[in-house]
Amino acid sequence: MTAPSTRVAPNGASRNDAADDTAIHDLGYRRYDGPRVGAVGAWRALYWQGLRTMFGIGRSAKAKVVPVFVILVSMLPAAAMVLAFSLSKGVQPIRYGAMIGGQLILFVLFIAAQAPELLSRDQQHRVLPLLLTREVSRTSYASARLLAMFTALFVAALAPLLLAYIGEIGTAIDPVAAFGSMGTRIGPILAIATLTAIMMSGVASALAVWTPRRAYATAAIIGAFLVAAAIATGLDDLAGVGMRTAEMLDPIRALRTLALVLFGETNRGMEMNPPAAIGFYVALEVGLGALGAFIMHWRLRRVVV
Amino acid sequence: MSIQPGITGLVGANGAGKSTLVKVLLGLVEPTDGSATVFGHDVVRERVAISALVGYMPEHDCLPPDMSATEFVSWLARCSGLPANAARERAAEVLRHVGLFEERYRPMGGYSTGMAQRVKLAQALVHDPRLLILDEPTNGLDPAGREEMLALIQRTGREFGISVLVSSHLLGELERICEGFVLIENGRLVRAERLGTLTGETGTLLIEVDGDATAFTAQLVQRGVAALQERERVLVSIAADSGDDGLRAVCDVIRDTAAAEDVGLLRLERRRGHLEDLFLGDA
Repeated sequence: MTAPSTRVAPNGASRNDAADDTAIHDLGYRRYDGPRVGAVGAWRALYWQGLRTMFGIGRSAKAKVVPVFVILVSMLPAAAMVLAFSLSKGVQPIRYGAMIGGQLILFVLFIAAQAPELLSRDQQHRVLPLLLTREVSRTSYASARLLAMFTALFVAALAPLLLAYIGEIGTAIDPVAAFGSMGTRIGPILAIATLTAIMMSGVASALAVWTPRRAYATAAIIGAFLVAAAIATGLDDLAGVGMRTAEMLDPIRALRTLALVLFGETNRGMEMNPPAAIGFYVALEVGLGALGAFIMHWRLRRVVV
Repeated sequence: MSIQPGITGLVGANGAGKSTLVKVLLGLVEPTDGSATVFGHDVVRERVAISALVGYMPEHDCLPPDMSATEFVSWLARCSGLPANAARERAAEVLRHVGLFEERYRPMGGYSTGMAQRVKLAQALVHDPRLLILDEPTNGLDPAGREEMLALIQRTGREFGISVLVSSHLLGELERICEGFVLIENGRLVRAERLGTLTGETGTLLIEVDGDATAFTAQLVQRGVAALQERERVLVSIAADSGDDGLRAVCDVIRDTAAAEDVGLLRLERRRGHLEDLFLGDA
């Protein structure tokens, strides 16, 4: 990488002279002929920068407020449940489904605050032309950004579930036996975290990609989920469209029901109105996430830089 | 038409299509008609091959205010496919090259225009391109900043074998650093030429005097020099075949005349051709 010593610095002194001297020499510009890792390395750099930005790592304190708040607040109920479970010697069960269902709105807040940091900011500060003239195509940019959002959401949704899960096994009188009886619960835990992350990252990226203004994007994402919930509830209450239709309109409500189903829990509404097959909910959430990803990609292919 | 290696100026009025041409060459905009190649690579089909060879400094602001220059430039180096360690080293090196030292660790939101322009140049250089495309690099700079930026561009282009395509609406700037130029008007290419011979030394001496220029000119003519007054300046034509001795003889006459007429010689130099003359001659 370092240039051969015979290369002449712009001030006329050769490299060797510069090294012998105590004075500071302007070595000028040097060539780079080291390794290049190409598009794969570029994608990785984009993905990591996106993931760090999602959690506010390497950013100002202000940028850390929402991620830290969401992570802490979502961990509290999990910790409380583990405490209650161990104090009651297992009489008070940990209700995973109910817990994660109640936290979905926190994750909406998380993605609404952070998705624009990834997508709108690059447009606002006009960094996109710099990226697109490098080893970054519009498609690889879209996929790196989307996957960073997915990963961050997955981690955020997984954390409280995993805390409860490890806590339940750890505080059991016989942890080995406890693992034997509930080891398979890791399946539903991973499933609900994955589906939450797919749906929310897809929807949020489809909305955030349209504007370079972060505040607008945040409002649009929160607004979209709120309006969907309001319409679903309104139609359910007033028009009596039924649970199924309401869940199709409100992906958060569908996730909440799915979480209960996956962990084998019920609430009062479900006793009167049995939930649909798991496949229905999975298809709904994955479909919505895929649609969001498609819209985001479509827009990024066309955005003028 | 083709652009030769070296420093080439891209000239045209605002809105003439300089930035659009630049974006076509970079593959950011697809040409509506015709085609272009950079180092033999088609700009539409082989954009990725071009990206490693070209560095781009846009006209507009492109610096996220809460990132430091070091972070930003090394991140972009990685986006050009450099490994993380090499990216950090290169970022530090090019930032030093453009003259950014301790400031490079501060968030870029607080940078002056001059510093911001330097960072923009650094990010274009960080992956060691063979061609730099600079869109209005002196925009918004004060005269001193302009000089420094031009010197930096000239040094980068001359001493390190990197070709430069630099756009500007200021002819004077380009004239000083460019070896060739491309003129664009209303989205059409008007002409593309090498500059060297066109703006080289002409057979005219340019004299400025402190005193009565009219009498001075008349005296010169009397002494057999082909002198001509142009406003406050005096132009002296030298025969093309007179050589160095002829030139010296004419200069001696001018000196003697100045002494005799008691006028001060403020300036005596061989006149250089100007880009503007060429364009004016065109219109």
